[in-house]
Amino acid sequence: MVGEKKWLPYVLLIPWVIGFLVFKLYPFINSFYLSLFEKVSPIQSDYVGLANYARLFSKTDFFGQQFINSLKVTFKYVFFTVPLVLLVSLIIAYVLSRKIKGVRFFRTAFYVPTVLGANVAVVLLWRELFENYGLVNQGLAVFGLDPINWFGTAAGAMTSIIALRVWQFGSTMLIFLAAIKNVPDSLYEAARIDGASPLKQFTVITVPMLTPVILFNGVMRLVETFQVFTSAKLITNGGPLNSTHVINLYIYEVAFENRNFNLGSAMSWILFLIIMVFTIIIFRSSKYWVYYQD
Amino acid sequence: MDTNTAQRILSRNRARRKLIQSLKYLIILATSFLMLYPLLWLIGASFNDGLMTGFSFVPKNFTVQGWLDAFKAPGWGSVEGYSLFRALWNTMQYVIPRTIIMTLSTLLVAYVVARMRFKGRKLIFALIIGTLLMPATIFRIPLFVFWTSDLLSPLWEGSNLPFMPFLPLWAGSLFAINSFSVFMYIQFFRSIPRDLDEAAYIDGANKFQVLYYVLMPMIKPIIITVGLLLFISTFNDYQGPLIYRGDVDQYPLSLVLPMLGKDSTNTYAHVFTRSIIGVSLPILVFFLAQKHFISNDAESGIKG
Repeated sequence: MVGEKKWLPYVLLIPWVIGFLVFKLYPFINSFYLSLFEKVSPIQSDYVGLANYARLFSKTDFFGQQFINSLKVTFKYVFFTVPLVLLVSLIIAYVLSRKIKGVRFFRTAFYVPTVLGANVAVVLLWRELFENYGLVNQGLAVFGLDPINWFGTAAGAMTSIIALRVWQFGSTMLIFLAAIKNVPDSLYEAARIDGASPLKQFTVITVPMLTPVILFNGVMRLVETFQVFTSAKLITNGGPLNSTHVINLYIYEVAFENRNFNLGSAMSWILFLIIMVFTIIIFRSSKYWVYYQD
Repeated sequence: MDTNTAQRILSRNRARRKLIQSLKYLIILATSFLMLYPLLWLIGASFNDGLMTGFSFVPKNFTVQGWLDAFKAPGWGSVEGYSLFRALWNTMQYVIPRTIIMTLSTLLVAYVVARMRFKGRKLIFALIIGTLLMPATIFRIPLFVFWTSDLLSPLWEGSNLPFMPFLPLWAGSLFAINSFSVFMYIQFFRSIPRDLDEAAYIDGANKFQVLYYVLMPMIKPIIITVGLLLFISTFNDYQGPLIYRGDVDQYPLSLVLPMLGKDSTNTYAHVFTRSIIGVSLPILVFFLAQKHFISNDAESGIKG
C-alpha cells in the first residue's frame, strides 16, 4: 500500500504491551519470586528458596496436609465435571442439530442457566435446593427414595457443586452446535444410504468430526474448573470436613484472609504447573484421537 | 419378497422412526424442564410466605410482601439509606467500565494483529494465545500487592468518585488484557476476505475508516457476543470484589446477597425476591442481545 505508516501498528499496540507487562508478565514472575520467601512478621520476609514448596508437599506440616487434601478434592471435582459437561453438552447439541421443532426455545432454555454462571443468587438458590427439605430431596421422594443429607456428607456436598457446574453446560453446547452444523451433510447422507441408525451416525460421523472442538472445549473447561471458587465458598464453604475445600478456596484463605502472600503464591504456582502439565498431556495425546480434515 | 412382507418392513421402520423421534423430544423436553425448574421454583418461592415445601413451584401461602420490600433497606446494615439499589449501582460501577472499555480495546488490538503487517506480529499473537490458557489465580496475589501499594491505593481505596472504588478490577480493560476476547475477534477477522479492505483502500479509506465502516458492521454479532460475555462474567464476579472489598456501602450485589439470609426481619420471600433481582439483569441483557448472538452461529457463513 502506498503511504502506509510503518509506525501505526506499534503505536496502537502500546497499551496492550504495557498491559501485558504490568498485568501478565510482572505478576507471573513476581508470584514465583514471592513464593521463595517466608513471612516471619507482618513487615519482614526471609528468603527460603523452595522451602515453601517442600512444606506444601510435606505430610507432617499442617499447611501441607491441608494443601494435599485441597489438591485431591480439586482433582475429584475436575475429573467428574469436565467429562460430564462435555458429554451432556455434546448429546444435547446433537439432538438440537437434528430437525426439531422449537429449536430456538430449547436452545435458549439450555443456555439460560449458563447466563447465570457463578451468579451469587443462583449459588444461594442451589444451597436451598439441596437443603434437607429442599427441592432435590422432594424430587427423590416422588420416586420413593430416602432424602439425602447433601451437605452433611463428603460425597453429597461434592455432588451438589458438581451438579451446579454441569447444569451450566450452555456455552460448551453452543460451540458444539456451531461445529456440528459445519459437518458436511453428504457424510450423513452416505451413512443413511448405508442404513446407519442415528446413534451410529453420532458415534461414527459426528464425534470423530468434532474431535478438534472436543479438544478445545475440554482444555477450556479444564483450566476453568481447576479454579472453581464461588460455589465451593458459598454453597459448602469447603465442608463438611474439608471435603469440598478446593485449591482456589484454600489459596484465598491463606493469601487474602491470613495475608500470607508467600505461601499463597507457592500454591498458585503449583496449581499453574498442574494445569500446564494436564494441558500439555492433552495436546500431546491429541494426535492419537483428534481427527483433522486437512 | 411379497408385498405383505415389504409393507411389514416398511411399517416397522416407520414405527422405529417414530420411536426415535419421540425419544428425541422426550430427552430435550425432560432436560429443558430440569434446566428451567430451579428458576421457576425461585419465582414461586418469592411469592410464598414461609418455606416452600413439596415438589411444586406454585406458592401455597401467597404473598407479595417480598416484592413490596424488595428495594427497602434490608434491615441489617448499620449504613443509613442502604438499599439494593445501592448494591446494584455498585455492581454497575464495576460492570460498565469493564464491559464497554474491554469490548472496544480488545477489538482494536485484534484488528491490528489480524489486519496489519509489521515485525513482531507473530510474537504478539503467540503471547495472546499463551496467556489465553494461563489461570487467573497466578496473577491474583502480585496484582493485589500492586494495587494495595502506597503509590496506587489512594487512587481507589475508599474513593468517592464513581467507578473508582473498582479500579483494580477494571483497569486491565484499558490495556485490552482479555486474551479470550482478542482471540475471538482475530478468528472472526480472519474469516473476512482482505479484498474488502483493499477495495476500501483504493477508494481512499484509511485504516480506521476500514475498521469502522467496512469491518465493524460485518462483525457486529461477535462484538455483541464479546460484550455480552464480558457483561455476564463481570456482573457475576464474586471473587474479585471479595478481595478488593471496601466499606459495606460499596459492596456490589454479589457481596450483599450472601449476607442477606433469612432472619428476624427477612422472610424467605424477601430472600428469594432479592435473588430474582440478582439474576434478572444478566438474563434481561442476554435476551436483548440474543437475536444477534444466536443469528451469528445460525448463519455460520463466517466460520471461526
